[in-house]
Parts: sequence; structure tokens; C-alpha cells
Amino acid sequence: MPSNNNFTESLRIVGIIAKNTFREAIRDRILYNLVIFALLITASAILLGELTNGQEARTIVNLGTNAILLFGVIIAIFVGVGLVSKEIEKRTVYSIFSKPVGRGQFVIGKYLGLCLTLLVNTAVMATGVCLALAYVGGTQLILPSLGAVALIYLELIIITAVAILFSSFSTATLSALFTFLIFVIGHLSASLRDLGAALASDFARYLLDFVYYLLPNLAIFSFRTEAANGYIASAALLSGALAYAIAYSIAMLAISIAIFSRRNFK
Amino acid sequence: MRLFRGQARIISVVVISAAALSFAAFIGRRALTVKPELPDEIKESDLTFQGRRLRGFVLGGDGLLADWYWMQSLQYIGGKLVAYEGDINLDDLRPLKPRLLYQYLENATDLDPHFYAAYAYGAVVLPAINNMQAIALIKKGIANNPDKWRFYQYLGYIYWRLGDYRAASEAYSRGAEIPDAPAFMLEMSAAMKSRGGERETARAIYRQLYENAEDAKARENALLRLYEIDANEQLEAVNAALTERFRKSGKCPSGRSALIELLRTINLPPRNEIKINAAGMPVDPTGVAFQFDQLLCRMAIAPESKIPKPLE
Repeated sequence: MPSNNNFTESLRIVGIIAKNTFREAIRDRILYNLVIFALLITASAILLGELTNGQEARTIVNLGTNAILLFGVIIAIFVGVGLVSKEIEKRTVYSIFSKPVGRGQFVIGKYLGLCLTLLVNTAVMATGVCLALAYVGGTQLILPSLGAVALIYLELIIITAVAILFSSFSTATLSALFTFLIFVIGHLSASLRDLGAALASDFARYLLDFVYYLLPNLAIFSFRTEAANGYIASAALLSGALAYAIAYSIAMLAISIAIFSRRNFK
Repeated sequence: MRLFRGQARIISVVVISAAALSFAAFIGRRALTVKPELPDEIKESDLTFQGRRLRGFVLGGDGLLADWYWMQSLQYIGGKLVAYEGDINLDDLRPLKPRLLYQYLENATDLDPHFYAAYAYGAVVLPAINNMQAIALIKKGIANNPDKWRFYQYLGYIYWRLGDYRAASEAYSRGAEIPDAPAFMLEMSAAMKSRGGERETARAIYRQLYENAEDAKARENALLRLYEIDANEQLEAVNAALTERFRKSGKCPSGRSALIELLRTINLPPRNEIKINAAGMPVDPTGVAFQFDQLLCRMAIAPESKIPKPLE
């Protein structure tokens, strides 16, 4: 019974930290600017569509979903790496840990708060894409686009987890750089495996296979081109991607908590 | 005094920046004029990479890059058409030297193998540049989209244009085997075998392309081709009548009334009768008056008409 109470209390603390992180994030003007910029890019696709000989809807999906990913990644990286480091820099971390808040609860709460922020931002940007599609009469691409956006969001929660991991032991600048590189490599990770398969050395093959499984396979979440062609993400793909994103994020957060727990703030 | 000084500072900043920007604009324009104009071979040699090599390396944005190549291909041909001085025949765009078009479309379809519009555009425009490239692009479309009958329709169209009616018939026949293919695919296959070179077959091909076109440009192109067929049918009949009149009377009909009287004697199908405009001149299906050459005693499509002109 006491352990059940502890768990509920833990969840409550995580919820409070997440809520505060979300509140803090949505007060950030840069965030609004990024979202507005993404919406402007989507709107510009309507004008650009004039140059595509009747392919406006397709262009809106391609430009809109890629803008959602790009700006989502920027938000995830820059807000993500600042989540922990900012608290340390401002020394607010001392007042937080003087209360009955565990370091694990702190990291998870921060992570969930940013995930919620990203969810709201992504939803706003996705609404922009849907409105643009409705404007040009491309409503048949709304459902495919929503599938692609859902996958983008799952990709963003992985990026956020990676950003938190790096920020748990490195400076904000280096963490942002490392996370961005992981984002790029994560999209190319299949090439590592192909390279391994092409090599004669068994050791090199195993090593590259190991790196392939260690890095996030972000190609799973790329469904933008398919959506622009009217393909709808299947339930199997969405559930598989969701499971992968949750599992990978848990792994990243577990390592982050382990590192963060050993960190000395004095 | 301080207020005045503040205003003076603002005015001087505005004046200096406006002067500097005007100077920069002037210098920029001058710099562009002294920049050497590169020959086409060099200017267009920057497209050395291939779309298929980029696949998987653009962070999942393959579709966006495909769109870029697609827009480039449209702008490329559009720009060449605008820059070209003189009349251009839509059946032969080689004078434009559009050697990058295939590469643009190839890249667009490498990056997005389901990009129907890019294939369709290639099927319509590439035959006027290089038939083999057009066939290669559509065959790639078939390989990437084996369940789409429209690719076979385009392949049949390209072979028909080449006069290879057997290959055209086979293409239509293979397309007809696809579950949702319309009945006309089979009809076209038979028509190609028996009367591939006939006008009615051409009319049926363009009517289907017109009815099935997914974009306005392709529809407009097919409509112009239908007008071309109608205009050629009209001109054949009119010029035959003019020749006959010249042979019998030794002179060409002079004046509008004589011409209209002659037109009344011509038998054309009711759906393709020649229309007369307010000025009393016979007009082509787009409404532009036919050009009448009294000396040669022949009628032709006017240069200002949108109807594609016959090959020289």
C-alpha cells in the first residue's frame, strides 16, 4: 500500500514539473516566432503552387510537413538542451531539489512538459497545413498529411529525449550540436548497415550493426513523400513507430537520469 | 534644440542609407552587365548529380526535393520558350536545346517514384525533344507504378506518335489488363492494329487524354491537338475545293463572298463545320481567322493561332 502511494505521489510530482515546463515553454516568444514562421512557409506553398502546374496540394504537403519537421526539430533541440542546463545556470535547481523531488522525476517531468509543448506546436502547424490544403481544394491529402504529422511528432519526442541525454552531461552548445548530428545520422543510419554488409571484415560489420541499432532509426518516421502522393499511414506503421519511439525515449531517459543522478551541482 | 538635433540625426541616417542603397543598386546592375555570359553548355552543366544518388540522404525530404526538380523542369521549358525568338513548333522543341529537361524529370521521379504529374509531363513534352527519353521515363513509371493504367496510355501515345502502331497496340493492350483500366484501352489497342494512322484514331487518343488529364496544362495541350485535327480536316477539304476551282476556272476565288460561296459547297462532318467570324472570314476552331494566300490559292492556320503548326 505505501509503495502504491509513493508511485501516485511520484506521478503527481512529475505532472507538476511537466505542467510548469509547458507553461514556461509557451511563454517563450521564440517558440511563437518559429511556429508563425512554419505557418508562413506553409502559406507560401499556396503561392509556390502556382508554379507547379496544378500540383498545389502536393507542394503544400511536402513543404508544410518538412517545415513542421524542421521547426519541430529546432524547438526540440534548443528547448530540450536548455531544459536542464538553464535550471543549473539559474541555480533554480537547488530550490527544486531542496523539496521532495527526485532527479528522475525532474528529468521525466521536464521531458513530458516539452513533449506536450511540441504536441501543441505540431498541432498548430498541422492545422495550418490542413487549412492550406482545404484552400486549394486538396482535401483528399488531409488524412495522409495527418499520418505524416503524427510520425513527425513521434520523431520529435525521440529528438527531445536525445537532447535531454546530451544536456545531462554536456554544455548547451555542444548538446545542441550533438543532437542535431544524431538527427542527421538517424536519417542515414540504414546506410551504415548497408556499408557494414558491403565490408569484408566481420568486425566492421558487427560494429556498424551495433551503431545502427544504437542510433535512432529515424527513417521509420519519414512518411512525407508518401503522404504527398496520397498514401495513408497504416495502423501497423503508426503503432510500430509509437512503440519504437516510446522504447527509444525510455532508454535515453534512463541513461539521462543515471547521469543526472550522479551529477554534483556544488 | 535637442529635439531638433535628434530629428536631424534621423534624417541624415535616412539620407545616407538611401544614397548608399541607391549606389549599391547601381553598382550591382553594372556588375551584372560586365559579368561574362556563359555559353549554354557550361551554364547547364551544373546538374551532374543524379536524384537516385540523393535518395535517402535528404533526411526524408525526398518528396520536397522532387517538387523542386518538378518546378525547375516547368520553369526551364517555360523560360526557354519565352527567351526563344521566332516561332516554335510544339512537335519539335529541339531548337530550344532543352537538354536538361530529361535530367530534371529523371531526378524528380527518382526521388519520388510515384510522382505521376512528372511522368505525365514528360510523356507529353519529351517526345518533342527525344522520343527515346520519353519512352524510358514512362517505362520507369510503369516499373514503379505497375497498377496504374495511365502510364500504358502514355506509352501507347508515344509509340503512336512514332508511327509504331504495333508497339502502341501492345502498350494499350497491357494497360487494359490492369483491373481498373477503362474499356477504351482495349478499344484503342484494336484501333492501333487496324487503323493506327487514321485521323479518327488520333481524335480518340487526344479526346481520352483531354478527358483523363489531371492538370490544366495537359488538358489544354490535348484540346489544342483536337483543334489541330479539326483544323487540318477543314483545311484539307477547303484546299481541295480551292485547287478544284482553280483547275476549272483558272483563277482563285477573290473576295469574301466568293470564298464563302465556295465553303458552302464543301462537305464536312456536322461536328466539324467551318465557322465564319463577324468579318465574314472562315475561322479555325480556336476562333482565329484562317490565313488565305490568294497567290498560292491556299488556306492555312494563321501564325497567331494557338493551334500547333505542322512540321516544316
